[in-house]
This record gives sequence, structure tokens and C-alpha cells, in this order.
Amino acid sequence: MLISLSVGRYDISLGTLIGFLKWKILGIGVAPSDVDLLSNIIIDIRLPRIIAAILVGAALSTAGAAFQAMFVNPLVSPGILGVLAGASFGAALGIMLGDSWIVVQLCAFTFGFAAVIVALAAARIYGNTAGKIILLVLGGVISSALFSALLSVVKFVADPYNKLPAIVYWLMGSFGAIEKSTILTVSIPMLIGIIVLSVSGKFLNILSLGDEEAMALGIRVSFVRYGAILMATMMSALTVVVAGMIGWIGLIIPHVARFIVGPDNRILLPMCALLGGVFLLIVDTFCRTAMSIEIPIGIATSLIGIPIFVIALRGAKKGFS
Amino acid sequence: MSFYSAKSISFSYSNKPILNNVTLDIKEGSIVSLLGPNGTGKSTLMKIFLGLLRPQSGQIILKNTPLKAYSSKDVSRLVAYVSQSSMVTFAFTALDVVLMARVSTQSFFAGANKRDIDISIESLERLGVGHLASRVYQTLSGGEKQLVLIARALAQEAKILVMDEPVSGLDYGNQLKLLEIIIELSSEGYTILKSTHFPEHALMLGGDVVAIKEGKVFASGNSKNTINEQLINSLYKTDICIKQTECGFPVCIPRFYQNKPTA
Repeated sequence: MLISLSVGRYDISLGTLIGFLKWKILGIGVAPSDVDLLSNIIIDIRLPRIIAAILVGAALSTAGAAFQAMFVNPLVSPGILGVLAGASFGAALGIMLGDSWIVVQLCAFTFGFAAVIVALAAARIYGNTAGKIILLVLGGVISSALFSALLSVVKFVADPYNKLPAIVYWLMGSFGAIEKSTILTVSIPMLIGIIVLSVSGKFLNILSLGDEEAMALGIRVSFVRYGAILMATMMSALTVVVAGMIGWIGLIIPHVARFIVGPDNRILLPMCALLGGVFLLIVDTFCRTAMSIEIPIGIATSLIGIPIFVIALRGAKKGFS
Repeated sequence: MSFYSAKSISFSYSNKPILNNVTLDIKEGSIVSLLGPNGTGKSTLMKIFLGLLRPQSGQIILKNTPLKAYSSKDVSRLVAYVSQSSMVTFAFTALDVVLMARVSTQSFFAGANKRDIDISIESLERLGVGHLASRVYQTLSGGEKQLVLIARALAQEAKILVMDEPVSGLDYGNQLKLLEIIIELSSEGYTILKSTHFPEHALMLGGDVVAIKEGKVFASGNSKNTINEQLINSLYKTDICIKQTECGFPVCIPRFYQNKPTA
């Protein structure tokens, strides 16, 4: 994290950085000569971005692991119920309609939830009895397809010189547009989501036995599942609000974490939050320093994530088989 | 006065009727064996007894109270379930799986305490699979998985056990051991409802038998009085006769064997 604070277009040496932090936080030492510049770069630009990267990585990984447990399927990722497709569509719509970030963020969040509601409603149409999980997955596929199509419509009608590039860049994901105020607002619900899912780990464990057995063990299956869906959806939608589309984290990190600590969700979910946060911070730091232009983080997570996933799967016998 | 009973249960999956007006009464401490051909609704009936499926008409009474009035947590403290097949997708150990039975006794935030672990290990040992505790459940053989699931039901500490074909997948030795454990549990006051494909097992266990055919109760009563050649032959469309062995134990002998000249 210190390294991430130090590197960037304007390099600050570790010594200067530590001196500055000491002065700022602990009040020890003297104020550095270029205090305004340092304060601007470190506190206003880099720190919010670092916190955002950690939070988004943690939220996507925890949501992914929770979805994997409640759908009893290790290949599920946070987008399973359409939340990411819906939020992308919402963001694109917001970009097309106006210039206000707030509108974009509200649209992304609202349509993320709307997509999940569409998925649950679609599953409901087919009935409420046997094979519930498969119906939910089917509902998610339908909802994702619907909102992807709507996204294409927005892209098609968007102004190709001005709005369309903005939409495309958003969908590639970036922490470039982070503001301190946004971080403060989204960090609370994200942290609540991570904590609630982590303390529900015991119940998520039992859901992975299948619905009937979980019920026979005294678990209110629908309550646990819908509660976890609510939390995971909220967290995933917020990640799109903060940073656009960032793929793969929600699928890879749970696997890597399961490889390290085993399948018990009580330990697995906090581990996912930790690993996901660290991983995304490293990738984001790489993105903004590796080249003179910033690499969109959605691309980087996929390119870095795929080889990690392949390697992790080779040894993944500990997690599932 | 009814301990655990089904009152005129009818059930259908979409439009396919499965159970038709089934009434049966389980007395406290008894062993009830469900007999009947494949697809006749035995598993469905047991799921209804557990509240996992809701019948279209009729109701289950548990300790003089309709099952509907219980929360699933309350039911899980009274009734434990051993399903016919269990899938565990993630790599939990056998002990983890058994420990899951303890969840209904724990408070929301609490994990497994020493007592939970002791009870779980004790249950595994009682089924003779204590040595499997730290093995990953998925890597166990079918029979070993079955024994772990039965251990889980015991760890739940519910006094009623509902078991869907508990001997399926067990080798001959483990089948006999499980039957012995069932008799033992029954003498300790457990009430047992189980389905079986072996009329002889119902006879070995004693207790009551309920034969189900095409979704209806075909015959019921004390196993020794109820199981006879005629019942088995019409239930399963077989051709067997029942003979007493020297020690007085009845066995079913298929006709093709009796006709063997040297038999």
C-alpha cells in the first residue's frame, strides 16, 4: 500500500512519503517543503483510489464466493443473476442521458438491482418447487441477455463522437474517476455486505448440501439465500458504480482463497475479501504505472487473472472436485 | 393422541398424482418400514413427513400439533433425515459434514463448540467410521458417505429418524451392522421411519410395516403378520414363497430357485 502510494506519474520516494505521513497522521517531524503538492497527490488522488481498489476487490471476491456457495457451484461468478449486465446498462444509459456522474452512478446501481429482480421473477414464473437453483441460474441467464441487448441498443443510438467512447471506457473499468465523497458513501454498504456475508458463513456452508437437506437441518433456506443474494447484489452493483466493469476477480479469487484455506465459508469469505483487495490494488497500481497511458483495469484483471486461474485450477483439488 | 402421523395426505407433482389419501400413524419408539415398488411415492411421503414438501391436502401431525405450526429449526430438533443421495460440492471433511447437524442448536454467531465436536465424533464412531473424520467427504465411497450421513442424523440428537433406503450402497457387513444399530436405537427410545427394498430387513427389524402401491396404503400392520407371500407377490409382481429357516426366521425364496432340481 505504501508502494502504491509512492509510485505514479509523479514519483514520491518512500522516505518522503513516510515523512509526510508521519507529519500528517502523528504530527511528528517537520512539514515537508512541498506540502500542498504532496497532500494533493497522496490524500486527494492516490489514497481514495487505493481504498477504492481494495474495497472493490474485496466486495467482488466475497460476493463471488457467496454466490458460489449458495448456488452450490464453483463456476459461478457475481454476474450470475445479471447484476453486472444490468449495472453496465444503467451506467451506459446514464452516460447517454447526461453529463452528471451522480446520474450515471444512480442508474448503474438501480439497474443492477433491477436485473436481479428480473432474474428472480423469471425463475418464479417456472414455479417454486424442485430444482430451484437451476431456475435461478436460468433466470440470471435470461436477465443478463436482456440487459446486454439493452446495452447494445444504448451503444447503437449513442452519439459516436462523444458518448460512445465514454461508454466503452466505462465498461472497460477504471479507478480514474474516483472522488473522496463517492468512496465514503459506498464504503459503508460495501463493508456491511462483506461483514454480513462473512458472519453468515456457517449457513452458506449448509446451503451447499442442497436445499432439502439444509431445510431438514433446520435452516430457513429461502431466507438465507435471498438475504445473501441481496447483500451480494448490493456489493456487486456498487463496484460497477465505483469502477465500471471489472471481470474475473469474483471468479478467480474465491478459487485461490479456497485453495489456501479450504471450503469453510466462515474463513473463506474474509480470506476472499483480503486476497481480492490486495490483488486488485496490485493490478490497479500496475495499470497506472506500467505504461504512459493508463491501462483499463477490466482488461488487466482478465489478462493477469486468466493465467492465475489456470494455475490455480491445476491444484484446486482442495477446494472442490 | 398422535405422536407422528399422516392424515389423508394427497400429493402430486404438477399434474402427476403421487400419493392418494395416505393415512398412517407412527407410535413413539416404533420402527416403521415402508415397502413398495420404485416410484410409488415412498420418498415423497417421507419428505412430506419432514415438511420438505407440502401436500395438496391432508396434514402431518407431530406430537399432537400440525407440522405446519413448527419452524424448520424446531422440526430439525425433533426429526432428523437421511436422504437417499447427498451431494456435497465443496471439499468439506466428513467431520465438517457431521458438524453441520449441530447448527440448529447453536446461536447465530457461535461456531462449533467442544460438545458439538465430541457429539459428532461419537456419532461417527458409533457407525464405525471414526477414522474417516478428517477425510474429504467427496473422496469417500458410496457406502462410507451413507454411514457419515447417518452419523450426521445421530449428531442432530433428534429422537425421530427418517431414513430413505438407509442400507442402499452399503456392503453386506455394513448392512447388517446398520440393522443392528437401528434395533439398538429403537431400544434407546428412538422412533424410526425408513423405506426399504428388502422385505427380509423389515422382518429382521420387527416393528410395523406399511406397504405402498400406486400412491395408496396397500397393507399395514405388524411386520410378522403383514408380510406374507401374497402381499409380496402382488406388491412387486414377483413369484416367491416364504419359508421358515431352522431358527424360525422367515426368508423369501424366488420360484426360479425352488424349481431348480438340486435346490
